[in-house]
Formats: sequence, structure tokens, C-alpha cells
Amino acid sequence: MRVLIVEDEVRLANNIAEALRQRCGFAVDCAEDGGDGLALTEYQHYDLLLLDLMLPGLDGLGIVRQVRRRKDMTPILILTARDEPAQVVELLDAGADDYLTKPFDLGELLARAKALIRRGKGVSHPVLTLGRISVNTVEQTVRCAGQLVDLSPTEYRLFEYLIFRPRAIVSARELLEHLYDYNWQHHSNVIEAHISNLRKKLRTVGEETTIATIRGRGYRLEAPEKQL
Amino acid sequence: MKTTSLGRQLIAGVLLAEFICAASFSGVAVMHEMHGHRRAFDVMLRGRGDSLLGAVQDAEDPDDNVTVDPTELVVPRQDLYQVLSPTGRVLGQSPATAAELLAHLGGTNKPGYFNFTVNGTWYRTIRFNGVRVIDREENGGVGLRRPVTVLYASPTNGMWHQTIEAVQFYIVASAVLLAVTGLALVWFLRRRLSPLQELAAIAARVSTRSWDFVPPAAVLRTSELAPIALSMDELLKGLRQAFERQRQLTGDAAHELKTSIAVLKSSLQLLSMSPRTTDQYAAGLDGLQSDTERMEELASRMLALARLEEAPAEPGESCELQVAVQAVAERLRPLAALKQVVLDVCARDTARVAIPADDAEVLCSNLMMNALQHSLPGGHVSARIQLHGSIGELHIVDQGEGIPEAALPHIFERFYRADRSRSRNSGGAGLGLSICKAIVERANGTIHIQSVVGKGTEVWVTVPTTPPHDGASLGG
Repeated sequence: MRVLIVEDEVRLANNIAEALRQRCGFAVDCAEDGGDGLALTEYQHYDLLLLDLMLPGLDGLGIVRQVRRRKDMTPILILTARDEPAQVVELLDAGADDYLTKPFDLGELLARAKALIRRGKGVSHPVLTLGRISVNTVEQTVRCAGQLVDLSPTEYRLFEYLIFRPRAIVSARELLEHLYDYNWQHHSNVIEAHISNLRKKLRTVGEETTIATIRGRGYRLEAPEKQL
Repeated sequence: MKTTSLGRQLIAGVLLAEFICAASFSGVAVMHEMHGHRRAFDVMLRGRGDSLLGAVQDAEDPDDNVTVDPTELVVPRQDLYQVLSPTGRVLGQSPATAAELLAHLGGTNKPGYFNFTVNGTWYRTIRFNGVRVIDREENGGVGLRRPVTVLYASPTNGMWHQTIEAVQFYIVASAVLLAVTGLALVWFLRRRLSPLQELAAIAARVSTRSWDFVPPAAVLRTSELAPIALSMDELLKGLRQAFERQRQLTGDAAHELKTSIAVLKSSLQLLSMSPRTTDQYAAGLDGLQSDTERMEELASRMLALARLEEAPAEPGESCELQVAVQAVAERLRPLAALKQVVLDVCARDTARVAIPADDAEVLCSNLMMNALQHSLPGGHVSARIQLHGSIGELHIVDQGEGIPEAALPHIFERFYRADRSRSRNSGGAGLGLSICKAIVERANGTIHIQSVVGKGTEVWVTVPTTPPHDGASLGG
């Protein structure tokens, strides 16, 4: 999952980014002003936008309006130091999904961020299942018929992203965009290596669900028909 | 508190004036009529007295006396009369109450008019002396002269009735006029005073929640009310701006403080989220240290600004501006060297101004620090003190990146940052220039900034100088 933080208080943005990376395994990009933030959202490869309300250039509300005008449905969480009801109503009406007032609890921010991402992908429960496989997004674990599959953090993130959209073809580019922030050197063969490892680990626990490579288009999580 | 109505007072005042006019007019009319009637009455009395004298006849007695012949006399029945001889003998009198007439007037002999009352009836009386000549034929045409005194009285109630009747018209007309003009006045005043009432109603609706004050056209057309309405409008606009500035400031201050706390809190929570190495903890603590220092700086600047804006300057506090500039320049030299900026100070003139020494240093350090921070390596910052008559001028010029034109009108606003992220990273809270402005304005000075992006910024501070020994205790 990839998250964009638009926050002019750099120390705060860094803290949130660090927590999202360490605790949720998300890729995180930061922007310090509204204009830059809006420009980044145009790539539409974010799974969550975390916006400060008072920003130089374009403010948080302005970004929400622009994003929603484009019919971009990415979940948006607003951080605000002001919590007057009128302002909250205006924000939510403009298309923001949730808000947190500063100073907030970092743990609460992470939980809300994860919940918004799940909801954004049409899932309300933190445990996702496909056939015998279940993915616990809180614990960040994958189990096959109750047996733990030992995955590296990157493998877990890859699998989590794929299981949110079972049987859909996901391009290597999309995986790169959603799993790594822009500081990462993009190499699609890195994805290929992780996919290959994932396949092996799933086979080891006797799981028939596998990740198919669709040549020239991407990858697809495929479960045997009988398991559906 | 008991309130009084201007409209009612006006109406009552005018009605009272009208009533007094009408009453005086009626009174004068009554007096005038009375005077006329009295004169007519007196003439009538004289005429009847003369008739009475005419009725004095020769009594045809041996003493050649005279007597009143009632057959010759036709007078109203209620009139009283008496004819007396010089010796006081009654020659003739009216049939009724002649004794009372005598009792009242018999004693005096002065001719003229008198008033008296009998049984509640007012009488006016004429007394005059006349001569009756009798037996003209018997005495060779000369006749005998028989002087008599005639008293004739007539009740005056008839005269009163006539007077009242005559002035009744005036009194009724006055009362009707009074009523009509009173009603017209009420209507007219209500109508004319309506702008005042509208103004009062609109003014009563103004509160800190609703600032709407639109004086009606009728108020603005009234020369007495227009200045009140306009100055109220001005005052309310100013107040509203002040309120909004205050609200904005409170909101901004809350935002800054909450953001600072959010940084601290998230840093702490991040650090305690998972086990760390000693180095990581040390780095985290360093970060927390600097976060706390920034918060401290923010708090102290906010308090400084509040102090400068709330309390008036203490009289007598002053310092020499060039001393402050030199002191600050010395402190900033290491930073200038680090940034490879030439810091040039020219402060030969003595400019004693009404700014406390500490504030003067804050002013100079904020302005020179800004200039240094926005200068590029190899740049040049100059600070000059000059005297122009009784005005001391501090002029600071840098060759830095300049301030965007759109930002210039806002740079003195609290918490305003032309480039927020950059300023945050360099530790500013957006209060430096607000503090400078507050310091300068407290000393009745001005501060002015001119800037061109890419070329640099110039700051002029002008402050009136104060006499050198005017209670100076600081600086020097």
C-alpha cells in the first residue's frame, strides 16, 4: 500500500511516515505544500491520502475538492489543528472520509489509515480470506488452513495488495507504484523475484492458490475453482 | 434606569408651549373685552346717573328743596340709586336696598367709580355731584342752584356675562386649534422621528455575533443622524476587524501550539512503538530536544508579542539604536561567516529612541537574522543608522532571494510565512516581523519593507528620537 502525506510540518510528516512504514509496511511519500501534494495525487497510485488542513499554497480542503472533482475515489484522511464543527462538516461534505485533530495518537492514526484503505478496497474486516488462505492485515500475517506462512515484509505487502483484488490482473508497474515510495529505484525484476518467492512459500504449505504470470500484462492471484 | 422618550418630551413640550400661548391669548382677550365692557358700563352708569339727575325736580315746598320724581325716571329694576343733598339728606332713592348702598358709600364724598358687593352681587357705582337749577322764572331767569350728590349703582354680573360671551369664541377656537395641532404634531413628530427610531432599532441588533449595521437611507438623509450612523458604521467595521483579527490570532496560535504538540507526541509514540537500539533512542531524544526548543521559542515569541501589544511602553525607557545594531551584528558575525555573507554595519550617528534596549536588540536581531537567512553565499548584508533631523532611521539591505510580491502585504501578519515549509525548517514561527512592527509602533515609528524577487530586500525603520537625558536609564 502506498500513502501520500501532505504536511508542512516536516518533523510531523516524517514521524507519521516512519510509523506507517514500520508498523503497516506501507510505502509513504511526503509533500510539504498543497500544490506539490495535488500534483502527486494525479498519478492515482496512492491507496490513502493523508492531508494537513492548513498548508502553504493549496489547503487541504482545496486538495480534497480537486481530487474528488477528478472522480478519484482514493480514501482521504485529514489532519487538522482546528476542530470547529462547521469546518469538519465542510470537509466531510467536500469528500474527505475521516479526520483527526492534532495532537493525535499515532496508534489511532495508523488504525484509521488501515481501516480507510480496507474500506477503499471494499473490505470492512481486517481479515481477508480467499479459499483456505486468510490474511490478517492487523497482524500482517498470512495463514493457509490455520498454518502460518512465513513471509518477508515485502512478500507480505505484495500478497496483501493482490488479495484485495483476487483474480484481477495487476501489472508489475502498478505493484511497484503501490508498494514503493518514490525514493525507491523502480525495477520490475525485483517484483518478479518476490513473486517467485511467494509462489514457492505457498507451495511449501500445500496451497493450490498461486500467482499466475500473464505475459505482457502482469500478475493474477488464482484460486482453484473447487475452493471458491 | 428610567428612560425618557425624546418624542414624548418634544410633544409634551410643544403642547405645553401651545397651551400657554392659547391661555395667554385667551387671557389677553378676556382682559381686553373686560376693559371695553367696563368703559361702556361706566359710560352707561354716567348716563343713568345723568338721567337720575334729570329726574331731580323742584319739590315745590317752602324751602325750595329738590326731590327725585320717580315718574320721570325709567331705570332697570335691579339698579340702585340715591340722590343726596350737600347736608346728607336723602332726596330720593331706589325702592330696594338703598340702605345698603348708603351703608357702603354714604360716608365718603369723593366723586368717581366704586365697586362693592351686597349679598354676593357685585355692583359698580358712580358718584358725582351735580347742580339742579330751580325756580328760574321766579328769580329773574337765574334760578336757585341746588347742588346734589348722585349715587348710582348697577350690578356688574351682566357685564361679566357679556365679556365671557364675547371671548367664548376665542377660547373655544384656541382649544380646538390646540387639539388639532396637538394631534398633527404627534403624527408629524412620529413621522419625522422615525429615522431616529430605525437607527436605534438597527443599532440595538448589533452584537459580537451579528455585525450587520446598514443605516437606512432615511437616516443618512438626516443631517443630524448621518454623522452618528456613519461613525457607528466606521466604528463597527473597525471593531469587527479587530474581533476577527483576534479570532484569527487565537486560531492561528492554537494551530501552531497543537501542531508543535503533535510533533512531540508523535515523536514520542514513534520511539516507543517498537524496541530500539541505544543509538536510535539517542537520535530520537535529540529530535525531541529540538522539538521542545522550538516549542519554547514559539511560546516565548507569542508571549513577547502579547506583551508588546497589550501593555503601553513605559515612559522614559530609551536606548541608542546604533548600540543595539552593533551588539547584534557582533553576535551574528559567526553565522554570517558560516553562510559566507558579508555583514556590513555603518552606525556612526547617535540615534536615541524611545525603545527599551532589549526590544531594540530583538528588533535588530530579527531583521538582520532574516536578511542573513535569506542571503546566498557570497551575498552582502548592510545595516545603517542615519539621523534625518529628529528621525532616526535603520536601513537594512540584503541581496537575498527577496519576497514574492503577493506575500508582501501579509509579511507583518502574525504567523504568516511567505514560504512556510522553509521557515518551519529554519525554526521561524512567522512572528518575527510582527514583533518588529509592534516594537517600532510602540515608539511611534514606522517599518516598511521593499523587495524584489531574486534581487533582495530592503527594510526601513524610522523612529522619532528622544532627548538624550530624558530619564534614560538603559543603553547609552
